[in-house]
Amino acid sequence: MNRKSGLFKFLAYTFLSLLAIINIVPLFWMVVNSFKKEQEYAANPFSLPTSLHFSNYTQAWKVANMDVYFLNSIIVTFVALIITVFLGALAAYFLSRFKFKGRGLIYSLFLLGMLVPIHAILIPIFLIMQKLHLIDTYWSLILPYTAFHLSLTVFILEGFMKGFPKDLEESGVVDGAGVYRIFWSIILPITRPALATVIILNFIYNWNEYLFALVLISSTALKTLPLGLANFVGVETASLTLQMAALTIALIPIIIFYLLLQKQLVSGMTAGAVKG
Amino acid sequence: MQTLKGTKLAIFLGLFPALVIYLGIAILPIGLSLYYSVMNWNGIGPMSFVGIDNYIEILGDDIFWLSVKNNIIIMATGLMGQIPLGLLLALLLNRGLKGSAFFRTIGFMPVVISSVMVSLIWGMIYNTEYGMLNNLLGLIGLDSLQQNWLGDPKWSMISISIAYIWQNCGLYMVIFLAALQNIPDEINEAAELDGATGFKRTLRITIPMIRGTIMVGVVYSISNSFRVFDLIQILTGGGPAHQTGVMTIYMYNSAFMNMRYGYGSAVSILILLVSLIVISLINRLGKEKDI
Repeated sequence: MNRKSGLFKFLAYTFLSLLAIINIVPLFWMVVNSFKKEQEYAANPFSLPTSLHFSNYTQAWKVANMDVYFLNSIIVTFVALIITVFLGALAAYFLSRFKFKGRGLIYSLFLLGMLVPIHAILIPIFLIMQKLHLIDTYWSLILPYTAFHLSLTVFILEGFMKGFPKDLEESGVVDGAGVYRIFWSIILPITRPALATVIILNFIYNWNEYLFALVLISSTALKTLPLGLANFVGVETASLTLQMAALTIALIPIIIFYLLLQKQLVSGMTAGAVKG
Repeated sequence: MQTLKGTKLAIFLGLFPALVIYLGIAILPIGLSLYYSVMNWNGIGPMSFVGIDNYIEILGDDIFWLSVKNNIIIMATGLMGQIPLGLLLALLLNRGLKGSAFFRTIGFMPVVISSVMVSLIWGMIYNTEYGMLNNLLGLIGLDSLQQNWLGDPKWSMISISIAYIWQNCGLYMVIFLAALQNIPDEINEAAELDGATGFKRTLRITIPMIRGTIMVGVVYSISNSFRVFDLIQILTGGGPAHQTGVMTIYMYNSAFMNMRYGYGSAVSILILLVSLIVISLINRLGKEKDI
C-alpha cells in the first residue's frame, strides 16, 4: 500500500510538473529573450541574456504606441465597467427586492443574453454604430461591452441581493427614505462582496476583448491594447525581441492582477462559464 | 414594499436604462441579423431582398464546409483534449498533495491572459525560423522533426488545437475541482468501507458524483468551440488557403473583407443554429443517461 501510494505521488508530481512547465516556459522564454538584442537572440534563443538590454522596452513603448493603447484600454474598460455595474446593480435591486408585473419576464430577458454569442450580433452592431456615427469612437466599444456583460452582472447581483432578509429595508422606510436612498445607503454597501466579483469579471472581460475592437475601431489613436498588440506584431515581423518586449509590457500587469485577486478571479470566471 | 408611493415610477426608472442598452445592443441585433440574412447589401448601395439565396450560396461553398470541418476539429479538441485533461488535473489536485495551490495557480494562468496575447505568444513558439519549438528541436538534434507549424496544412490545425488546449484547459480544471471539493466526506468514507479505493473509487464513485458538472463543462466547451475566432485569426488568419478557417472567420471575411453584410449575417445565423442544435442534442443525451 505504501509503495503504491509512493509511486502514485511520484507519477502525479511528474505529470503536474510537466504541465506546469508547459504553462510557464513560453512566458518565461518570452520575458528572458525580450532583454536580448536581436542578433543575440538569433544566435541562441535559449541562453540567458549576457546583459539586460532595456532598449527593446523603450523602443517597443514608442514604436508600438503602448502608452496610447494602455490609456485607451483603461478608458474603455473602466467607463464600461462603471456603467455596467451601476446599471446592473440598480436593475438587480428592483428585480430582487420588489414585486411587480413583468418582473419574471424582465429577469428571463436578462438571462437570455448569456446565451448570445458575440458573432451573432456583430454585423448589426457594426451597422448600428455606423448609422449613429459612433463607429471608431470609445462609445462604439463602451456600449457593446456594457450591453454584453449586463446579463452576468444582473444575474450575480440579483442572486446575492435576493438573499438579504426581507425586513432589511424597513428601518429605511421608517426613516422616510425613498427607494433610491435605500438602494444607495442600505443595499449597495452590503452587496460589496458580489460587487467585487462583478467588477473583477467585467474588468478582465473588457480588458481582454478583441473582436468588437477589431471591427469597430480603425484609428490608431483609439485602439485598445489587444487590438494594438495584434496590429503591432503583424507589422513589426522583423524583430522578435521587440515583439517580446511589447508583449511582456502588456503581460506583467495582468499577471500581477491575477496573483493579487486570484481567488475572486477563479471563482468569478468559473461562475461566469458555468452560468453562461 | 408595494405600499411605497411612487414606487412604480421608481422601478421603471431604475430598470429602464439597463434595459434600453441591453435590449438595443445585445438582443435586438439578433433580429436584425435574421433580417439582413435575407438581403443582399454591400453597406453603401441599396439593399435588396434575396430570400434564402444567401443560405443556398453558403451551403454550396466548399470553403464554408472546410470551415465547418475545422469547427468540428476544434470541438473535438475541446471534448477529447480540454475536458479529460482538465478532469485529470482536478482529480490529482483534489488529492491534497503538497503544492496543489501552486499548480492550480499556474494551471489557471492562461485563462486570465487575453486570447490575443495567447495567440501572439504561440505565434512566436511556432515561428518557423526563429520560433521556440523548432529551435528546441534543433537543440536536441531532432532537426528532422522541424516543421512549418502554421504554414503547412498538414500541421496547422494540430498546432492551433494544441494552443487551444493550452489556453482553456485550466478553466475546466477549476470547474471540476470546485465540484470535487463539494463531494461530502461521508461518501468517500463510505466508499472506503465498502473497499472501493484508489482508481476504482475514482471511476465508480467520484466521477459519477460530478457527472452534472462534467456535462456543464461539455456544453460550455461545445459552445465555446463555435465561438473560436481570436486564436485562429491571429495565428493564421484562416490560412494557408482557408485550410484553418472556422465559421466565425468565414463570417468575418464575408462581412468585413468582402463587404457582403447580408451574406455574413446569414453565416452568423447558421452558426447560431448549428451551435444551438448541437447543444440541445448533447443536453438530451445527458438527460437520457440519467434515467
